[in-house]
Amino acid sequence: MAVELVQAEKHSPMKQSRENAISVNNISKYFGGFDGVIALEDVSFDIADSEFVSIIGPSGCGKSTMLRLLAGLIPYEKGDITMLGQHVDGGMDGVGMVFQTDNLLPWLDVCANLKLGADIAGVTVSAAAMAEMIETLGLVGFEKNFPHELSGGMRHRVAIGQALICNPQVLLMDEPFGALDALTRDRLNMELLRIWQAEKKTVVLITHSISEAVLLSDRVLVLSDRPGKLVAKVEINLPRPREPSATREDRLFGDYVVKLSQLMGVN
Amino acid sequence: MTKIFNRNITDALLFFVALAVIWEVSIAVFDIKSYILPSLGDIAVAFWQSWDVLMQNSVITLGEVLLGFVSAVILGVAISLLIYFIPVAKRTLYPFMIALQSIPKIGLAPIIVVWFGYGLSSKVIMAFLFAFFPIVIATLGGLAGIPAHLEEHFRALRSSTWNTFWRLRVPSALPSFIDGCKVAMPLAVIGAIVGEFVGSNDGLGNLILMATGSSQTALTFAALAAVTTLSLVLFYIIELMGRLVWWRSN
Repeated sequence: MAVELVQAEKHSPMKQSRENAISVNNISKYFGGFDGVIALEDVSFDIADSEFVSIIGPSGCGKSTMLRLLAGLIPYEKGDITMLGQHVDGGMDGVGMVFQTDNLLPWLDVCANLKLGADIAGVTVSAAAMAEMIETLGLVGFEKNFPHELSGGMRHRVAIGQALICNPQVLLMDEPFGALDALTRDRLNMELLRIWQAEKKTVVLITHSISEAVLLSDRVLVLSDRPGKLVAKVEINLPRPREPSATREDRLFGDYVVKLSQLMGVN
Repeated sequence: MTKIFNRNITDALLFFVALAVIWEVSIAVFDIKSYILPSLGDIAVAFWQSWDVLMQNSVITLGEVLLGFVSAVILGVAISLLIYFIPVAKRTLYPFMIALQSIPKIGLAPIIVVWFGYGLSSKVIMAFLFAFFPIVIATLGGLAGIPAHLEEHFRALRSSTWNTFWRLRVPSALPSFIDGCKVAMPLAVIGAIVGEFVGSNDGLGNLILMATGSSQTALTFAALAAVTTLSLVLFYIIELMGRLVWWRSN
């Protein structure tokens, strides 16, 4: 089992055959100035192109903050983040973000909500691309429905579709399935894996579910309780394609869950 | 659904009929003089006989109300946007507006008539004064109520200020703005009538004063019925417009 425990030291970006999509170097984030609350302390990691990485940690450890830093939604005081070869400073092209809440606009129907990001970016979505996206998301027949007429799972699918329709290279997801029931969650997890495998995007997923992280990821990053420090990077060497029940029966799956629980301090 | 709706209507009608019966019976039993309280029949006759006068004056009052209301919407929205987007305006205009709002506007009517005369403009200004504040408060409330997570979502989508304004802020604030209009419209009617009470040559408020002064109480009630109808129709138009913005962002 490849578990890399992280020592406090100057980070040198990984030398990999694959190109790095994201490179985070010695990032610290303070809320309320340098003498304020330390949200993240000296965090460094690299994410390879088309890698699926989950970030887990106890609630309040700064994992959502980490994702907002990657998305350029909040500034950082120390360190450096590079994404797709560019220094992150504000929002970036080629990056899609999916939030914890579905963030659909109640006055727009499914199609208009799906197109929102593209409309704002000034990109036209062809009717064929829209039909394909509706098909992929399993929303055929709901094109003209409004968010309040959809189930929670459908709303989240629309939110993910909104990010996907712009065809981003990097998909940042902040506990997108947190509010869903286990069955819907499994189904959307598989949908996400299918899309990721088909389109080879780089995915960074924030989750508080250890088993979800193991089920989906190539690698899991573990953050400690506040102040958030990176404690471990765990490679998940489970065979792909993965499938919820079969993968969970794998003896290795259980080992990973136990190992990650220990790293997170869960007993 | 239709059945419940019908039931609502029939119950309301029955209640009104009962009230009318009580009205008529009371007049007969207690021998109330018609210059104190006319019978419904007398009011209907007055309404019929004075139809032309009532219509003429209704049109005048309607004009005052609409001009006052529309200027309140235009200025109210403009001031709300200034206060929302410009911090200096929020620090200066907003407290000033709250102070102005605290003045009883009925108390302003005499001086408004002195300044702007007996004609149309003083009534339009009164209607405006009554309608203005609810529109500002509701519009500001709507803008302030935009959920933070949606604002962040628009930042993540790298939306321009312009795009965020039209695609997020305007639709988010619209339901609250319409609520403000619903409050403001009947107030604009009151403002115009108050203006007419204080100094005017025509309008339904003027007609109410004249009729009451000359003991034509049935005509007073007919004019009151006309004002009420006017107010209800205008309110209902706003209500219909409100159905176009059925959503509530939460």
